[in-house]
Amino acid sequence: MKYILMMNTMRAGHGVPEWPQKDLRAHIAFMMGLNKELRESGELVSAEGLAFPEQAKLVRAGKNGAPITDGVFPESKEFLAGYWIVDVDSPERAYAIAAKASAAPGPGGAPLNMPIEVRPIMSGPPPEML
Amino acid sequence: MKYILLMSGTRAGVEGYRSRPEQNIEAHMAVLHRINQDLTESGEFVATQGLAGPREAKIVRGEKNGAPVTDGIFPESKEFLLGYWIVDVPNAERAYAIAGRISAASSDMPIEVRQFATYETKSR
Repeated sequence: MKYILMMNTMRAGHGVPEWPQKDLRAHIAFMMGLNKELRESGELVSAEGLAFPEQAKLVRAGKNGAPITDGVFPESKEFLAGYWIVDVDSPERAYAIAAKASAAPGPGGAPLNMPIEVRPIMSGPPPEML
Repeated sequence: MKYILLMSGTRAGVEGYRSRPEQNIEAHMAVLHRINQDLTESGEFVATQGLAGPREAKIVRGEKNGAPVTDGIFPESKEFLLGYWIVDVPNAERAYAIAGRISAASSDMPIEVRQFATYETKSR
């Protein structure tokens, strides 16, 4: 069963780039360790961090199909900071991995306990739709 | 450069979509399938997935002892991720063009275009 574990955060207070270097290093080392563990257990499908919302665009198609980009990304909106896709035996295992990621160290090494959204991935559209 | 194209919606939006005539949904799926084929042929396709509905979603936090605390409550009004495409393209404009095509195929839904963080790619 495939699950996506999404780390959402608000722009206000994400403040990660302002953490002391030592704390940032500890956080990255923790995340790399977690990815390594999941790779070794054969559960990791992929993991990515996303660039900050300053570089994000909202795109819609115009009448002629040309993209209309909107750079304005509301200050208050939650945004996706990164995600893991895991292939696990049960939802409980996906929750256990999410809890581990949730407890990643933040400033001063204290666990962040950030919320992680866990969603099953559909195996594909119904065959009759293809 | 890798970009992720995120399609989000609300519960009301999804229910409206599901109540459309079957033919209409089939036509939409066919266009999305065609876009995936085109991206595969151009070598820009990395991955695409649809996600199951929010009823099956949980919010998880770690407890003091590391045990997961799951919260099944997913606010009614919250936008949630319906699915995504990951593409590997030469520039941002190309990512926007692909997002525009997906948007045009999907009732002009806005598509969020985000670049992958570079520190993560460097570490591999």
